[in-house]
Amino acid sequence: MAKRYDAIVIGGGHNGLVNAAYLARAGRSVLVLEARDRVGGAAVSEQVFPGFTFSVFSYVVSLLRPEIIRDLDLARHGLHILPLESTVTPMLNGDYLGQWGDHDQNRRELYRHSPRDAEAYDDYGQLMLHMAHAVKPIISMIPPDPTSLSPRDLMGLLKLGKHMRGLGPDKFHALHKLMTMSAADFLDEWFETDVLKATKSASGIIGTFLGPRSPGTAYVLLHHYMGELDGVFRAWGFAKGGTGSVSEAIASAARGFGAEIRTSAPVARVRARSGRVTGVVLDNGDEIESKVVVSGLDPRRTFLQLLDSSEIPSELGDAIRKFKFRGSSGKVNLALSELPNFTCLPGVGPHLRGAISISPSVDYVERAYDDAKYGAFSRQPYMDIVIPSMIDPGMAPPGQHVMSIFVQYAPFNLEGGWNDVQREAFGDAVINTLSQFAPNIKAAILHRQVITPSDIERVTGLTEGNIFAGELSLHQLFFFRPAHQWARYRTPLAGYWQCGSGTHPGGGIMGASGRLSALEILRHT
Amino acid sequence: MTSDVVVIGAGLNGLVAAAYLARAGRRVIVLERRAMAGGAHATTEFAPGFRCNEALDDAGWIPPRIVRELDLAAHGLRLVSPGNRILAAAGDGAWLSLRGSLADTFEPLRKFSHADSVAWRPFAERLRTMAAFLEQVYAQEAPNVDSSSVTDLLGLLRAGLGLRRMGKAAMVDVLRTAPMSVGELLDDTFESDVLKGALAAEGVRHLFQGPRSGGTSFVLLHHQVGRPAGVFWPDQVPAGGVGALADALVASVRAADGEVRLNAAVARITMRDGVATGVVLDSGEEIVARQVVSSADPRTTMLSLADPSQLAPELVRSVRNIKFKGAWAKVNLALDSLPLFVGVSAEELREAAIIRISPSVNHVERAYDNAKYGRVSSEPWLDVRIPSLRDATFAPVGKHVMSVHVQFAPYQLRDGGWTDAARTALGNTVLATLESHAPGLSGLVRHQQVLTPLDLERSFALPEGSAYHGEMTLDQILFMRPIPQFSRHSTPVPGLFICSSGSHPGGGIAGGAGIQAARRMLSGT
Repeated sequence: MAKRYDAIVIGGGHNGLVNAAYLARAGRSVLVLEARDRVGGAAVSEQVFPGFTFSVFSYVVSLLRPEIIRDLDLARHGLHILPLESTVTPMLNGDYLGQWGDHDQNRRELYRHSPRDAEAYDDYGQLMLHMAHAVKPIISMIPPDPTSLSPRDLMGLLKLGKHMRGLGPDKFHALHKLMTMSAADFLDEWFETDVLKATKSASGIIGTFLGPRSPGTAYVLLHHYMGELDGVFRAWGFAKGGTGSVSEAIASAARGFGAEIRTSAPVARVRARSGRVTGVVLDNGDEIESKVVVSGLDPRRTFLQLLDSSEIPSELGDAIRKFKFRGSSGKVNLALSELPNFTCLPGVGPHLRGAISISPSVDYVERAYDDAKYGAFSRQPYMDIVIPSMIDPGMAPPGQHVMSIFVQYAPFNLEGGWNDVQREAFGDAVINTLSQFAPNIKAAILHRQVITPSDIERVTGLTEGNIFAGELSLHQLFFFRPAHQWARYRTPLAGYWQCGSGTHPGGGIMGASGRLSALEILRHT
Repeated sequence: MTSDVVVIGAGLNGLVAAAYLARAGRRVIVLERRAMAGGAHATTEFAPGFRCNEALDDAGWIPPRIVRELDLAAHGLRLVSPGNRILAAAGDGAWLSLRGSLADTFEPLRKFSHADSVAWRPFAERLRTMAAFLEQVYAQEAPNVDSSSVTDLLGLLRAGLGLRRMGKAAMVDVLRTAPMSVGELLDDTFESDVLKGALAAEGVRHLFQGPRSGGTSFVLLHHQVGRPAGVFWPDQVPAGGVGALADALVASVRAADGEVRLNAAVARITMRDGVATGVVLDSGEEIVARQVVSSADPRTTMLSLADPSQLAPELVRSVRNIKFKGAWAKVNLALDSLPLFVGVSAEELREAAIIRISPSVNHVERAYDNAKYGRVSSEPWLDVRIPSLRDATFAPVGKHVMSVHVQFAPYQLRDGGWTDAARTALGNTVLATLESHAPGLSGLVRHQQVLTPLDLERSFALPEGSAYHGEMTLDQILFMRPIPQFSRHSTPVPGLFICSSGSHPGGGIAGGAGIQAARRMLSGT
């Protein structure tokens, strides 16, 4: 008879690991079951080519909640964030726009493009900071059910209402705009420089299947701004050793608290009897008993794959089937013999230590979306490029480099479907586009790894390759994430809980879902 | 001269406000720039013997309360049915007939999809339930989220109680559906392109967005307000044309001793010590009044008619940021005889309130793509009406009038703007599209009137051609319409009020803003 655990966590992605760590920290005996041979889910570092280590999927860190870093003492477990200080956007006319960590340098650069925008920039940053503060309590709140009359939900709603009123009219209205507008329209209210608006609005489309002119994208803009909240200015960064080391640090913390982590242990089903969970069955037929089972997988897998449809109410089944994934991004990882030489900023410079954004105009990004709307990958995609080896030399052999290219749009539902030919064609589109700005890139490529949404799904299990385990659109947030009445990490099965990015607040390497879920579980079991 | 109230503009909202104020005993004078009342709701003789609803084809929902309270029947208003179906082109001479009766739609829909015919009734009823909720919200002033005064709390509570009565499911459905794209909403429910195309068009009516943009489901819901389930067109229109509603309102104002003066353009609103004191006409005549209410759009009212230098800079900025984004054009045709649409019987044509050319969601989306980059849709969405089929006042016997709503035609046309050549090209595009469904139509055209967004702005004072004096998007409704400071129809300038469709509850509801503005003015706050 196998050992019994107080709790089993399905999936060793960062949220599952955070969840397990918090449960173990409270004295529970916890087992994490990960399908792959390594933990991390979409936050993994792999030596894809000999000597070259990549953050294969997720590649930057900023949203990881500071309370998690503190509670789990992640620094002691090896987490080390290296700052990413700038974003440079090459323009089609050979010029560039730099956004620098240094305030004065940044201001001078903006002034070069538009004195008006340079003036507006600080006010804009101020507003976004206020907005990030305004949503912070919401991010850390277990969503109340607006239709429930239970005292706890009413208290939650009251707290939410009080918080909204406490913001004061100006901030409340600004927040409303951010929640409902398109990134492009929102930025139009502030700036006139197209390349600036394009680069900022591009962060509003990440992980969604919308263009920068579609309402709903301004929120993602804010979601990505939250990373700047708790650290110093510009708190985006790399984890030393790649994002896999974030997962490793959390796993190490969880083990330190006594959790057991088993890899290469895919779960086939969640077992239940009379509406109560009893354990899990692995792919190999092994059964493990536990009164608490937590799924870190996305909502579709949590409800429709691990359970039988007869085990959940039909309206929940419908809601989950209608929950939108629509993976829209891909990744190209390059092993380089030399650094890229950008026409707009020739040679080696500080710009290579930051992000390079291929987003020369709002129309450019919008056209990239147009292709995807009709089932094609973008011929000229938006790209967010980093060269981790510039900051963390251990990622590549001496003198050589690794380049990580986040690419949008690559629709999961590609016309005709994804296959090897399409994957390479997609990779070619990325490299051809990049070579327009850095002509030496083709000759510098030693190895190339192209990852489509279909690959993301196959390898990480994220449905339709959506990097947020479900789109971050307004109708899939807060008490709708993943479904009305099931946004409090519970499920209709007693003892079966959710903790993945498909729950509130979701998205990015944040860990908030895993933590909030653990707190809720500890309160009730 | 002096008056209690000056109403700027004799559009529907201005007239409704005037009628209520006059009935409450105020001395009211309505000043209209044009030679006729009605604003964009005007029925004119555009060719000898031929009349048409020149700009807007209908007044949207005409709240029964206004008809009743202002005695409009006694003042000549007769509401009639414009037909009981939409004929939606499916291509190749096939048409979907969406009937006013849910039961009657079953068979026509089954020809395209059995599943859709089954899904139709629940969908139509679901939308109706949501629209009924919106109707309740629109009947009240915009909630004041900033204030905690007792009356506001009561209003919010009433809305809350309304919600509860409608059932929890309906409230959640509205919150979840409104931010969605209408494309997603339809894809979740239906499979046939023609049905989805026909409804997707309603989601972008007068909107500079495509059906795949977030928030377009809200527009579909908004236009459902006041209509029976399954009726996606105005089921009641004024006999004699949309202008007849304005005529009845003018009569109602005059019957209550109000004055309506035509050809009297207001040059500016006079202010003393920051308080509105009246208006000066183009003629130089000054009219002194205790209250001024403007049915001009909010931008014109605050920045052209009032003196912006007397407003706080942030207020001016907010007004400048109101999104108008005209997206439509109008083509009116005088025809020598009734055109034949391939595949449409004479009986079907006579019963058709609207003949719709928008055969798929992607058709509308592609039409939007053109406009997004500043061009007229090469294959536009067209709504065709032939009012002369049911109303003999529109054309000489045996002859007909065709009124065509065209989307998309962007106000900001690239490559030269709205020249005469661009207008001609737009007319040709529309005729060519019609010709493919009604061969020989061009030969029947005796006279043609093409109104570009710029024409609509110039002739009907629709800013940027925006039919609703500001886009109906989630960031510009309720307490955000037109900007938070004016959302309850008063402005920061004491004595100056707004009643345009640019204010709550917005466009497509005849007199909806007018009645609320009058109420506010009478309340003395």
